[in-house]
Amino acid sequence: MATQSPVNAILDETTSSSTHPSALQILHDWLTTADHKKIGLMYIGYALLFLVVGGFQAILMRIQLAIPNNHFVSPQAFNQLFTMHGTTMVFFVGMPVLFGFGNYLIPLMIGARDMAFPRLNAFSFWIAAFGGFLLYFSYLGAPGLSGAGSAPDVGWWAYAPLTARAFSPGHSTDYWTLAILISGIGSIGTAINIVATILCMRCPGMKLSRMPLLVWIYLVMAMMVFVTISPLTAAQIMLLLDRYLGSHFFDTQAGGSAVLWMHFFWVFGHPEVYVLILPTFAFANEIIPVFSRKAVFGYPAMVAATVAIGFISLSVWAHHMFTVGMGPGANTFFVLATMTISVPTGIKIFNWLATIWGGKIHFTSSMKFAIGFLFQFLVAGLTGIMLGSAPFDWQLSNSYFVVAHFHYVLVGAILFMLFSAFYYWYPKMTGRMLSEKLGTWHFWLFVIGFHLTFDLMHIPGILGMPRRIYTYEADRGWMMWNLLISCGAVIQTVATLIFVYNLIWSYFKGPVAGADPWDAWTLEWSTTSPPPSYNFAVIPGVSSRRPLWDLKHPEDPDSNYE
Amino acid sequence: MHINQEHSRVEVVQLPSPTAWPLVLSLGIALLCTGLVTNLFIGILGLMLSICGCVGWFFQVFPHESHIDVPVQVGDVQVLSSRTLQDRLPVSEMHRKFLPIETFHIGTGIKGGIAGGLAMTLPAAIFSLIKYHSIWYATNLLAAGGFVSWANASDAFLSEFHMRGLLAAAAIHGLTSLLVGLLYGAMLPMYPRSPIVTAGLVAPLLFTGILHSALGIVSPILNDRIDWFWFIISQIAFGLVCGFVVNLSAKVRTAQFRALPFAVRAGIHISSDAGPQEPTEISTTDQKNEKRDRPE
Ligand SMILES: [Cu+2]
Repeated sequence: MATQSPVNAILDETTSSSTHPSALQILHDWLTTADHKKIGLMYIGYALLFLVVGGFQAILMRIQLAIPNNHFVSPQAFNQLFTMHGTTMVFFVGMPVLFGFGNYLIPLMIGARDMAFPRLNAFSFWIAAFGGFLLYFSYLGAPGLSGAGSAPDVGWWAYAPLTARAFSPGHSTDYWTLAILISGIGSIGTAINIVATILCMRCPGMKLSRMPLLVWIYLVMAMMVFVTISPLTAAQIMLLLDRYLGSHFFDTQAGGSAVLWMHFFWVFGHPEVYVLILPTFAFANEIIPVFSRKAVFGYPAMVAATVAIGFISLSVWAHHMFTVGMGPGANTFFVLATMTISVPTGIKIFNWLATIWGGKIHFTSSMKFAIGFLFQFLVAGLTGIMLGSAPFDWQLSNSYFVVAHFHYVLVGAILFMLFSAFYYWYPKMTGRMLSEKLGTWHFWLFVIGFHLTFDLMHIPGILGMPRRIYTYEADRGWMMWNLLISCGAVIQTVATLIFVYNLIWSYFKGPVAGADPWDAWTLEWSTTSPPPSYNFAVIPGVSSRRPLWDLKHPEDPDSNYE
Repeated sequence: MHINQEHSRVEVVQLPSPTAWPLVLSLGIALLCTGLVTNLFIGILGLMLSICGCVGWFFQVFPHESHIDVPVQVGDVQVLSSRTLQDRLPVSEMHRKFLPIETFHIGTGIKGGIAGGLAMTLPAAIFSLIKYHSIWYATNLLAAGGFVSWANASDAFLSEFHMRGLLAAAAIHGLTSLLVGLLYGAMLPMYPRSPIVTAGLVAPLLFTGILHSALGIVSPILNDRIDWFWFIISQIAFGLVCGFVVNLSAKVRTAQFRALPFAVRAGIHISSDAGPQEPTEISTTDQKNEKRDRPE
């Protein structure tokens, strides 16, 4: 029995020209494009490239730490590895991949033909990309102290005074500062574009209260980018002044303040976590309802919770600084503020559960990853609350417990939901389905590898293993845990390779997707897969939050209920 | 897809024309910065590229934004994806499950929280009087969680009146009561069977259990001196009063109500304890019982 009755609509019948362009022509097309879809795909491709690089660095570190007294890499190279791994994953994987999905999806979801500022969009992508290349050029740039290039080695927080000229001679720290400064310009540009697009380019009938939740969340995320990237950029400029012109912003001995850097960095750093995770909440809000076959539960509560998270996350930054000695007043404030953020986050989790509850769940690869996300995000939130209370943090700050906690957020929640998004929107982007069989292998291997690595990683932290440690003695009792953690990392690598193979294989051999393979409800599924350069031949109009539901069920449209 | 060729027509879509100038400008800025860490000439090259990029970009959008025309042919078609044509169990004639058609107003929870919070102070005051002969002990004990300097305060100190303690305790207690009240307002409709038992006994016991294991981290001083028996009593006082106030209030109709057929709305007959996520049975006048179920 068909569940979907044919629907009359106006559809694009343009026949694409069958001429095969030359490789040079294709390259020219991509380099000069102002099309939000191509830019989105370039963002995603660029992020995947750096994901592989950052993952490779993680593997090298895990080999180094797998056994005690290991000298697989030199101490200098190890410092560079964890610095580059952190910087790469946050600035050149997390941000671009999320901007990529946003770029690709937002205009399609609000029924627009492009972003508000298509040239600014291209500029933002390219400058972010060049920032990444500049960072990695440091490996080849002027030879550093160890002869292994002068890649940054000050940790991804780059705390003062380690970054001062006296302690970080050469140019490695300058590469780090400049790369982040440049990519920050791109982030601001894209955020401006996202806000302007969402506020000004919605199709007729798409009121704010009818926007897909993904679009809402990206709006909040873009607003947060404004307020977080700005202090970061300011701090980087101050650091440049310190290093090049001899100012003393962060030089305590000359009247500056090293703690000032911490404040600047974390007033960026904590909201940044939410800038990274909000888009994955956005994916969950689109994917979980479709595979539960129910409209999302509590749309207004979701929007309110998102806005609340946006505000509260701006006032919790110093929970990264409990051990600095800020005094009881500040500690208490930041403990309470940190606890408060669990309220809107909890609302979201309950709403997702309520969406799944009673639904007709389709366990596609995408949904499997989404459910993994739900569970792991909850656990990550719980260890976050533990670390958020100052007395507990005094014991475990800068230990592997912290590393385990934030990787639970970044991998267990963000990366899982990203995989889910890939399985969900790949058909739209390429016109082909990803293999479900490979997807299932990918999911289970990744779940096993993830839990092996990051569940166990809490334990050496509790046993006192500090983060960023180069190697350790055999008698500490950390040995077995570290070996198991490294084994988990290998399993995750295998799973990721399966995923990459799936991406490539399915592009050529995957089943043809059609416009709407998931029987979904948002506007991007109403155009062909992949969409034509103009997205919609006729700009659509909507009268509810699920326009395609209304199209498919004209006898019982959603607009009756909202 | 079925295509009705009769209605095919050609239209033109304007798109921004491709341009390399943003790429040039971004490369220029990147090289300008790279000049700082390599050598001056790269910086100068970057500066020149930046200027070229700005000028080129300027003439892209001025005096007229340059664009390309893309002709599209549109036609009236019937949209149907073949991949979704899988058999599904026909669960109902209607597609949807009706979410609660009535719910509590959000202000109800706040009212309940205030009432419950006030009620809770009574057992706390009795406890303070009986055990420490001072009405302020419980107040100061709660406030001590917020003041690190009070961590080692004596019982005598906590039995005295402190303005600071009263204010802090009032803030902590007031905020918590409001939030829990809101939670009750949102959750009680979900537990329709016996809301008083849920709100008055089960939730306080669960909450006490959670706090019992976590209080050592949140507020060690409170953990040392708390009297769990009296704590449970005050929790139950909160739950009963808050639940009672919430339950007393009239429900308001949600948008789902409007969507019901007129016949249903006119002769509406719903079991009064229907909550969200519960398939609601709606008897219409023509005796047709429809079990509302999941969509599709
Ligand atoms: Cu944080």
